[in-house]
Amino acid sequence: MGFLRKGSAKKLGIACIVGMIGFTMAACGGKGQSDNNLIIVEKNDEKIVSLFSPMEKTEANVENVARSAADKTILMAEEKLGVSVGYVTYTAEDYQDKSYDDVALDRARNDMDDIYLLNPDTISALAKEGKLKDLSGLDCAKNLRDVVKAANIVDGKLVAIPQEVVAYGLFINKDMFDQYDLELPETPEEFLECCRVFKENGIETPVGANRWWLETFVLAQAYADLYNGGNTEAEIAALNSGEAKYSDYMRPGFEFLQEMIDKGYIDAEKAYVSEAIEGEGPDFLAQKTPIVMAYWGAANTETAYGKTDFEMLVIGFPSSRGQMPVMPMTGFGVGSDAAHGEDALAVMDVILSDEALQVYAETNRVISPSKNVEVECIPALKPLNDRIQENVYVLGANASMDVEQWGNICLIVRDLLNGATVDECMAKFDQLQEEALKK
Amino acid sequence: MRKKHNEGRKDREISLLVSIILVFFILGIIVFSVSGKITKEMEASATQNLNESLNLIECTIEAMLNKEAEYQGMMAQGIAAMADPEEYVRSYEKSETMVRIALIRVGETEGISSTGEVFTEEEMDFSAGGTIDGLPVSQSYLNYMGTWAYCIKCPVIKDDQEIATLYVEYIYDTLDKSLPDGFYNNKAMLYIMDAETERFVLKPQGMGERSAGHLNLTDYYRANDIQEDNLREQVEACLKDHQNIMFYHDIRNKNSLNYMWSVNDGTLYLIGYVPIEAIQQEGRTVNQNIFIVVAVMLIAFLLCCILYYFNQRQQNKIRKEREEEREISNRRLAEALQAAQIASNSKTMFLSNMSHDIRTPMNAVLGFTTLLAKDAENPDKVREYTKKIMASGQHLLSLINDILDVSKIESGKVVLNVEEFTLNDLVSSVDAIIRPMAEAREQKFLVEVTGIKHECLLGDETRVNQVLINLLSNAVKYTQTGGNIWLRIIGLKQRSNQYERIRIEVQDDGYGMTKEYLETIFDAFTRAENSTTNKVQGTGLGMAITKNIIELMGGTIDVFSEVNQGSLFRVELEFRIPEGQADRLFWAEKGISRILVADADVEVCENIQTLMKDVGVEVDAVHSMEEVLSLLHKYESMKDSCHVILLRGNIADIGCVEVVRQIRQEAGETIPILLMAEHDESGIEDILQTENTGILWRPFFASAFKDKIREMQTGMTAAEESEAKEGSNLEGLHFLAAEDNEINAEILREILSLENAGCEIVENGQLAVERFKNSEEGEFDAILMDVQMPVMNGYDATKAIRALERRDAREIPIIAMTANAFAEDEKDALNAGMNVHLAKPIDIELLRQVIRQYTRKEQ
Repeated sequence: MGFLRKGSAKKLGIACIVGMIGFTMAACGGKGQSDNNLIIVEKNDEKIVSLFSPMEKTEANVENVARSAADKTILMAEEKLGVSVGYVTYTAEDYQDKSYDDVALDRARNDMDDIYLLNPDTISALAKEGKLKDLSGLDCAKNLRDVVKAANIVDGKLVAIPQEVVAYGLFINKDMFDQYDLELPETPEEFLECCRVFKENGIETPVGANRWWLETFVLAQAYADLYNGGNTEAEIAALNSGEAKYSDYMRPGFEFLQEMIDKGYIDAEKAYVSEAIEGEGPDFLAQKTPIVMAYWGAANTETAYGKTDFEMLVIGFPSSRGQMPVMPMTGFGVGSDAAHGEDALAVMDVILSDEALQVYAETNRVISPSKNVEVECIPALKPLNDRIQENVYVLGANASMDVEQWGNICLIVRDLLNGATVDECMAKFDQLQEEALKK
Repeated sequence: MRKKHNEGRKDREISLLVSIILVFFILGIIVFSVSGKITKEMEASATQNLNESLNLIECTIEAMLNKEAEYQGMMAQGIAAMADPEEYVRSYEKSETMVRIALIRVGETEGISSTGEVFTEEEMDFSAGGTIDGLPVSQSYLNYMGTWAYCIKCPVIKDDQEIATLYVEYIYDTLDKSLPDGFYNNKAMLYIMDAETERFVLKPQGMGERSAGHLNLTDYYRANDIQEDNLREQVEACLKDHQNIMFYHDIRNKNSLNYMWSVNDGTLYLIGYVPIEAIQQEGRTVNQNIFIVVAVMLIAFLLCCILYYFNQRQQNKIRKEREEEREISNRRLAEALQAAQIASNSKTMFLSNMSHDIRTPMNAVLGFTTLLAKDAENPDKVREYTKKIMASGQHLLSLINDILDVSKIESGKVVLNVEEFTLNDLVSSVDAIIRPMAEAREQKFLVEVTGIKHECLLGDETRVNQVLINLLSNAVKYTQTGGNIWLRIIGLKQRSNQYERIRIEVQDDGYGMTKEYLETIFDAFTRAENSTTNKVQGTGLGMAITKNIIELMGGTIDVFSEVNQGSLFRVELEFRIPEGQADRLFWAEKGISRILVADADVEVCENIQTLMKDVGVEVDAVHSMEEVLSLLHKYESMKDSCHVILLRGNIADIGCVEVVRQIRQEAGETIPILLMAEHDESGIEDILQTENTGILWRPFFASAFKDKIREMQTGMTAAEESEAKEGSNLEGLHFLAAEDNEINAEILREILSLENAGCEIVENGQLAVERFKNSEEGEFDAILMDVQMPVMNGYDATKAIRALERRDAREIPIIAMTANAFAEDEKDALNAGMNVHLAKPIDIELLRQVIRQYTRKEQ
């Protein structure tokens, strides 16, 4: 007797040898050559759907959560439909470059891609040109929240569907507010007071800004009453008929911005040439600037403000009705003459399905456009989320308004940053309204 | 020797292990070197392959650009020949490659484009001086389609005169279609970069990760963490000189080969990277295969090693087992030899001792017999000589008995003869033997009995007696003159009401024993020997017999001893208590229901109370003279009295005699007074002068007490009484004896004649049967039958006699008288029909008792 019986040892030895022979043959063996042609012909009947979207400038070894979330839904579509989605991206190098919106418009107008991720103004513009397909027939459209549908229906067509409801808010450094015993501002006056205190305490620029998102201050002040006063449709009708003037709505916001610029609370020159987050983000993260504005998802992603060394809170913009979230609604649209239109619609149906939106929302922690998908937001976003849950918000774009809002206000705010007066800016609104009335 | 052998084997094993490790080490180095070489070669090959792939892409792009330029030249020639070139431009439908054309007449700054807008050259930037096939090419720009484009301008020459410039806009997307769908299994990343602006103008489909979309070279550096200044400078220098560059750098934590490949003389660059793992895939596969082969070989080798190891282990084990077996066998042989030698020595020694021990008394017997023959006329001498002959004969008999005992015990033939006996008889008989021995050596022999509840027990008294005599005679033998011997009989707590547990301790303060001897004390044929004790006679069998007897009786024996301190033998035995009433009748008949016991030792009083309680006699115990006197007064006042007074001299310091005298005076003449005394107590004989007073030897036993009372009342001892009742000899009896040995026959005849009994002797069983057959009824009172006889043995003769059809054939006592002394011999005798079995040599007293017993029964 021993550790192994003699017979067992022999059996084990034989088993090992047989195993090794089998393993070696399996490792070295191959299929027999049955054909003299050595070329392996790969069938290339892959369906390709081209997706045009922006690509943020990336940092080394940093994951873009929003991009990852979108990628997951794209993979779902590819697996389900057997298509291949090719990404085409564009990012402006600087303010002198064509903007993403400009390029998106050009590409959509020339049918360069199948699916486009579009901002509200481009959605509106392309929809009015008939360059976007009607998506209302998709299954995924049935589950959309009303606010999403309202923002994206142009001439009775649902022209874009977002993967997230984009809500803009003020990202504040709560530690710095606490340091100077400041309450979170509700109204423009309170906001200005906070800025004054910061300024007096040596904060050079209390509000970090870029050339894109200052319009959110204007929108919040302009439409707080319109969207939350219970008379929205009538007020919009008055604007569309010319009975009311956009400039009257816009003026307080522009004057507010002008005061901010005049008092040095915003660095207008820097803002005018700064890209979103790139310009103001580093100072905010370095706690040199206590306030910036950004969209919901920026609070979740490390490429933006997802990882701060201080307590960050996201609140609504100051308005006469308190803190006001601004929701502009981006969305995916399908080119009306897209080369792979049908495949693109199928892809849309998958990536915007409840299943995909659940994955997206869970990954990115955002408000889903589907009324069937709910996820908990991160603590920093709670103040903003509370307001949205209370149905208190301002739409950043509204397809039922004859004058496109998101793009136009952005451009006119840039004029203000570039030195135009408030009156000149108002004149532009009047001009836009007149042009719209003529149509 | 073995140690050396083991060390040698260990050294060989270590050498083998080191050799194996060395072989593996060398094999490892070779495999590592080969693997490294293959890796390097494959890497060089892969780099070369990448070079070729990039060259191919470069050539493809350049060919396309050249074709475009060539085609544009032809188009310009065609336009030159047209009557209305502008119309051609206006009506141009964009193709996939040429998305817009424009024409500016010589001398003009504006022209027309195919998109219908006014076209100026300011829209394009040709300042970098890049050319394709000799035609100027602009920097890349985002065109009206929202995609990256470049423009080639070509002069329109008519009649050797430049009449206009043709601008054609190409989009980079066109190149994508001519490029491969990816290389290095889509792991390679590729961008086409405009060298002047360093903008990435095309990321061909399938080239690298989908989610990557870099803006420009700076973004590429940042995203891939290429921040080393010297590397950046080197890359910048290469770009400036339109050189190609390849360098290693980690991209997203993967070691990658980065490349920047000049296209079209540096106006465009192919930018990208390939992870090393993708480049070295083939190398890795080859290495993997090498490792598989090595692993298989290694496993095979290890398997062989394991098999070899197990085989060796098995062999070693077998060898070890054999060695162990051999060792055990050798050891056993050595032990057996030693044991045999010891046994041989012991037996030689034993025989030597026996020879000596037997010859000594034999010498005395023969010597005194010779003297007896010579001094036959002198009665005093005859008596003296016969006394000595008798003593020597007794000693010889004890030797033979011991030898027989050992033989019986060893052959398991000992059968216990369980009968009723009293501890009193036991102690008395032992005392009678040992005390004289002790006194002869001037030793003190002390007997103590405590805690005994029942003194009448069931057991083999003879064997217990034998044990005690063995132990005590040893104690006497091995204790110096003037020493002390103790015999203690202690009643232990009963485990069952039916059994009395007794501890017997035999202690002495003699020579003691060594530790070594204690280990062999119970072995046969051993005797403690030293200069002091080797003169002591003995067979060396006593302790072996003792232990065996005790174990046979279910008891235990322990011994404690120290040299020159003495020894203690402790025996524990359990005896069954006989059923039925104790001897209450005697006491009732004698009218003794209460006795007074006076002893200063409380324990002694309690013992007496316990024992007397058993026979229904009440005991009043007192411990001093005063108490005795007081109690006697009390009896008087109560008109009651005790019937016997038992006392010891220790109740007062006035001496035993005076104590007895005073008590007698107080108690009157009628109450018997017994003084409990030790055998060696002196000056107590005077007590016997007093009427109705006696001595009771300690220790106290109820039976001894009973005998004493009887003796005092009848004036005779129990034995005398019994003898008186039974008659003193065999006078008038006539026996038939079958004995083939003439000497024995003569002895028997003489002994019986001394008893005035007649005896007719026949030589064998057959004759005995015939003689009895022919005898008249009542002619013989008993038949004394030897067993081993010629013609017919005693058993057969007895059977034959018993089978005779005579009235007395079944009744006549037949007494076996044989040297076959074992129990089975006795059993055989009884089975054959004999009445009793007597072992030779003939004990005349025993013979007398037996004959009397059976002839009386007969009567």
